[in-house]
Amino acid sequence: METAELDCLNFGKLDSVEVLGTGIELFRAGRGAPLLFLHGIDGLEGSAAVLSELAKSFEVYAPSHPGFGASELPAGMDRVDDMGYLYLDMLGVLGLEAPLVVGTSFGAWAACEMLTKEPARASGLVLASPLGLKTADRREHWVADIFMLSKQDLAQRLQVAEPEGPTLFEMSEGQMLRALRADEALSLFGWTPYMCNPKLADRLHRITCPAMVVWGEKDAMIDPEYRLRWRDALPQARVSMLPGAGHRSHADKPAELAEQIGQFATGAA
Amino acid sequence: MKIWHFSEQAYHPAWKAEGGLRVTFPQYHCDPVEAGQLLNRYLDEYCLADELGLNIMVNEHHATATCMSTSVMTTLAILARETKQARLLALGIPLANRSNPLRVAEEIAMADCLSGGRLEVGFVKGVPLEVVVSNRQPTKFMERFWEAHDLILAAVSNLGETFAWEGEHFHYRTSALWPRPVQQPHPPMWGTASSASSARQYGKLGYTCATFLSGAVARSVFTGYRDAYIEAHNKLPSPDRLGYLAVVSCASDRAEAFRRAEAMKEYFIAAPRFDAQFRNIMGFNPVEANLRTLQAGASAMRPRLSNGGTLQTNGSVEDYMSAGLMFVGTPDEVYQQIAQFNVDVGGFGNLLMMGQAGLLSHEDTVDNLTMMAREVAPRLAELSDVPPLEVRYEGVG
Repeated sequence: METAELDCLNFGKLDSVEVLGTGIELFRAGRGAPLLFLHGIDGLEGSAAVLSELAKSFEVYAPSHPGFGASELPAGMDRVDDMGYLYLDMLGVLGLEAPLVVGTSFGAWAACEMLTKEPARASGLVLASPLGLKTADRREHWVADIFMLSKQDLAQRLQVAEPEGPTLFEMSEGQMLRALRADEALSLFGWTPYMCNPKLADRLHRITCPAMVVWGEKDAMIDPEYRLRWRDALPQARVSMLPGAGHRSHADKPAELAEQIGQFATGAA
Repeated sequence: MKIWHFSEQAYHPAWKAEGGLRVTFPQYHCDPVEAGQLLNRYLDEYCLADELGLNIMVNEHHATATCMSTSVMTTLAILARETKQARLLALGIPLANRSNPLRVAEEIAMADCLSGGRLEVGFVKGVPLEVVVSNRQPTKFMERFWEAHDLILAAVSNLGETFAWEGEHFHYRTSALWPRPVQQPHPPMWGTASSASSARQYGKLGYTCATFLSGAVARSVFTGYRDAYIEAHNKLPSPDRLGYLAVVSCASDRAEAFRRAEAMKEYFIAAPRFDAQFRNIMGFNPVEANLRTLQAGASAMRPRLSNGGTLQTNGSVEDYMSAGLMFVGTPDEVYQQIAQFNVDVGGFGNLLMMGQAGLLSHEDTVDNLTMMAREVAPRLAELSDVPPLEVRYEGVG
């Protein structure tokens, strides 16, 4: 499909890259060390603010996940596990040996799926508000269910600030199409088991590069127990808390998150 | 025209509660003794329909006080034994919400066997909220539906050796139906549609296609069906390939019919009582369909009054009649309304009649069914075919 014009991403170049026959929408911006950014449930456009900050010190590569934005969805792809392979293939196409990998929310899950398969393909890993580890155990639930919330409730809960951007009914056709594709892809990858790969916890030990997990202090999408689950599954990771930020810490505190990522990269290098 | 009696078998005592009645409505609102009495009452009414010479339609829903039939095949298995002559229509089995289609085939075979070959089978997509309850994958929903459909038809019509099935979604080492169905190659098949495009697939297959409470849109549904039927089969479908579902209140006295219609209208108020996020489920409908729905606006899918206005949920009985969702009056009046609607939509051979709905009591239901069977059914049976209308697609979607 056609790559849309997204005003919020006017500080770089939005085009697409073909990965083994699949067109993947790719946003590139900035100069510096290479950084692969994997977006969350809010899509590439939801990360514009932090991408703008990161582009000040990195060469940023930010794809739309398969099925999101203007990225195609390969016929057989139905797990984030599959997506991990696609992103490894994409690194090859882009000639990126071992970029800094940054993933937020759903994208942090994708980053883990990629690096548990080929741990050497990152110089460092930053997980902001990660999903992907088991989100529940029987009647105990640690992540709010996006499929059971109204659109309005979800929009409110994702960040501390008021939701930015148009509602579904105020969108242009192009924007609407992107939002509806994101819904469908989230359902495909995250419906059940809810927003996780139950096998991921047993694979995370393979990630050996320097790692940092950043949590929004006011993340209303998760129960604090979920942070402990991540600490146990990735014990070598530095853990950082962003004051005043919600689940979309990249939207609430883009400059602060980018600064933490910059400092981490300096330490990791 | 044939009449099929249908009730959603509601647990209406819980409708007094505040808020939504579906998906997240806690079961402590249900008194199981009262529920059992109601279920038996609804079954008695189905049995009466059988005695009166009407046919029977059953549906299912889940996690809702608007419908206690949680398994269409369980209800029909009871009726297969309790009734003697009625055709028994499952409309329908929410196929893609069922995890084991071979089990569905077994249920079909057993009920057909028990009833001596009186079963008719409709597979339905179901409303979006059902997928929250079944928790089956919303994406590729219809792909799974059609694979399950193919597998079930292969299983019920199999007269050869057992077979293994390795599909995209379903996998079986062996398939042997014990018992197998009486009707061969399979019981008559039905589908449901609310637009010309969705009716086309059933026209192509030659299945009976029903549309529910859709008013004037039935005309484009039936036209879509006929066009596809003619393309595939090179002849006009007979009217018995088409069905329309409406609420019917019939009494010897017009005022009495309207009084009952008020009680039945409560069904229309209760059915949409659920939280907004369950109106659509992410991934359930294709992106293009969701886009068209969004662009058309919220009221586009609401039935229209004869003056072009939108039927409101809390509209009057007269509004529901004007939109073609209720037929109300004396036997003469009800006959006239149905005959006129039949002409307006281009002809159909099956009236799926909600002979009980909402708060309608047992006594009123008994009289309603009796009046319809004795006074209206014989006249509808003699209804002459309507020349099909030249209507192009006009429905949304």
